[in-house]
Amino acid sequence: MHIAVCLCQVPDTSSVISFVEGVIDLSRVNEMMNPYDEYALEEAVRLKEQFEGSVVTLFCIAPPSAREMLRKALAMGGDRAFLLSITEYLDTFQTASLLSRAITACYGEALPDLVFCGKHSTDFQSAQVPLMLAERLGIESVSAIIKLEATADSIKVEREIEGGTESLDVHYPALFSVEKGINVPRKTTIKAVMAARKKPVDLLPVIISENPYVTITSIKPLVREKKCTIVQDAKELVRLLRNEKALF
Amino acid sequence: MMKTVLVFLEQREGAIKQASIDTWNRVQELVAFRPGVTVSGILAGPASTLQLEGMLAGTGVIFHANDEAFRLYNPERYARLVAESMKRVDATSLFFADTVLSRDLAPRLSVRLQASLLSGCSFDNGRVDGAGCQRSVYSGAALASFAAERSLKIFTITSRPTRCTTIVGAQTSVVVLEPSDCTDADFFPMVRSITMHKGIRDVAEATIIVSGGRGMGSSGGFRLLEELALLLGGAVGASRPVVDEGWRPHAEQIGQTGKTVAPALYLACAISGAPQHLAAIGSAGTVVAINRDPHAPIFDVADYGIVGDVHLVLPKLIEELQDFLQKR
Ligand SMILES: Cc1cc2nc3c(=O)[nH]c(=O)nc-3n(C[C@H](O)[C@H](O)[C@H](O)COP(=O)(O)OP(=O)(O)OC[C@H]3O[C@@H](n4cnc5c(N)ncnc54)[C@H](O)[C@@H]3O)c2cc1C
Ligand SMILES: Nc1ncnc2c1ncn2[C@@H]1O[C@H](COP(=O)(O)O)[C@@H](O)[C@H]1O
Repeated sequence: MHIAVCLCQVPDTSSVISFVEGVIDLSRVNEMMNPYDEYALEEAVRLKEQFEGSVVTLFCIAPPSAREMLRKALAMGGDRAFLLSITEYLDTFQTASLLSRAITACYGEALPDLVFCGKHSTDFQSAQVPLMLAERLGIESVSAIIKLEATADSIKVEREIEGGTESLDVHYPALFSVEKGINVPRKTTIKAVMAARKKPVDLLPVIISENPYVTITSIKPLVREKKCTIVQDAKELVRLLRNEKALF
Repeated sequence: MMKTVLVFLEQREGAIKQASIDTWNRVQELVAFRPGVTVSGILAGPASTLQLEGMLAGTGVIFHANDEAFRLYNPERYARLVAESMKRVDATSLFFADTVLSRDLAPRLSVRLQASLLSGCSFDNGRVDGAGCQRSVYSGAALASFAAERSLKIFTITSRPTRCTTIVGAQTSVVVLEPSDCTDADFFPMVRSITMHKGIRDVAEATIIVSGGRGMGSSGGFRLLEELALLLGGAVGASRPVVDEGWRPHAEQIGQTGKTVAPALYLACAISGAPQHLAAIGSAGTVVAINRDPHAPIFDVADYGIVGDVHLVLPKLIEELQDFLQKR
């Protein structure tokens, strides 16, 4: 089975995002693998273990420094990685279009049997790239899955809906975006890290032929303007809440 | 410029989502100042439109695809229906409530219709207009403004419910659609079944959330929160360590790797207020924090705080509320 996994980088949430004279300053931010992409990768690697002879290929659009993150992903079980190295900002549509061309270039008309993405990237939380990519590739897709059972010719998945779960039937080739809870990603071992050094990370040429659908016009610090009133006890709290606009 | 706006009305099991109704009403507020803009709706799936009586503000026609084929969500069928409806009313903007369904459907439509997709827009403080929207990014550290570059635009809206709006002079009518061609064929992926968790309100839809953190001590500690949620007609939420410990299911996790919520009242009990948690409650109305540490960062984003032990404060709070609700 041929499995593609799309990975992106996001700022490590423990690093502080600051502003210098009103302009966002990301220079002190550490980049890491998008947490949801770890679940996506783990799911791919589990399938590789289930279906003998499978190959897991990683695709990433990011600055050249993302190599390090891709090494980690290879240590987690990826077989080879393609980096589409860019430094400018792409919107989700451009990202999906570029990924689609990279995947088609790599696999040809046959397409991979499965493509995995994270549910969303934690920096912008767009949750747009995966299904846009599926649309571009013209394959079946389901977002935010929490369970996957694959046989050689069909796939059953589940995903959470408000107040319940939905079960879906899907055919190959298909794309899934993956929700937390689907699996527990493995820890990398020293042995795996060593082995990953021998796996290829190749640069793919980047041609951006689409105009963005959405542009960012400003990023400003978000000031929370709340002032907390400390109340002495529950009685006082209920009295105060009662006065608020029809809370209960 | 917007001329006709289409609002998607979502039903699950025949119940039209409150979030969709809120979206309709917010859109009506938005266009109230723009003469010449008309609002239409598309309701997918069998549902009694009587539920809408007295709920919808403004004027407009709602097209109802009453066909059984739309009862369960089917991405392909739904995408075709919405695309057809956009054409029918010649709409330039499409609005969804931000739900699991719209997060699945909207990106597909964005590519098909070559439309700009602005997702997770908040309507609070006038952050949406006809051309763009604002949304918090980087775990709530920043507010980004997005502009749509295409003439067709799709918005998904996360905003607090419009509470207690009195609807006057509204005039909406419903037109039932003829079954369309896409209703007989099989389209995949196909929803085989849905299972609802009985008696549990989802945090994503709750108006009141009582949320517990590691300081609740154990899964047993959450009994107090369940009791409180029941009393207030709210839902129980949790921080990540609570879910990682297995005290609560992942569906209840609130935060960067959980759900983003916008209740009218958020009660954070023994939650420290890490950025990854706060990222998801930025649109909450009133925030109340109970924590024994007076320096816990949760107090920085709270309207009201009680410094104290949850195991002592919560039983008192339940008692006071019971008392109050009984007297009312
Ligand atoms: C990539 C990433 C993603 C993350 N995603 C999320 C997410 O989605 N959601 C999330 O919540 N976290 C997330 N986290 C974790 C986050 O960083 C914090 O660790 C977490 O939110 C802390 O949870 P907590 O407040 O329950 O626990 P703690 O930080 O341990 O706080 C417990 C609090 O309870 C108080 N307390 C203890 N006992 C009592 C008592 N008896 N009475 C009153 N107060 C008491 C303490 O004073 C303390 O403030 C993420 C982290 C990372 C790195
Ligand atoms: N630059 C990128 N390179 C590779 N994959 C990406 C990129 N951006 C987004 N993705 C994939 O799409 C998912 C959702 O991203 P987003 O739509 O940006 O929230 C991520 O979890 C990745 O799997």
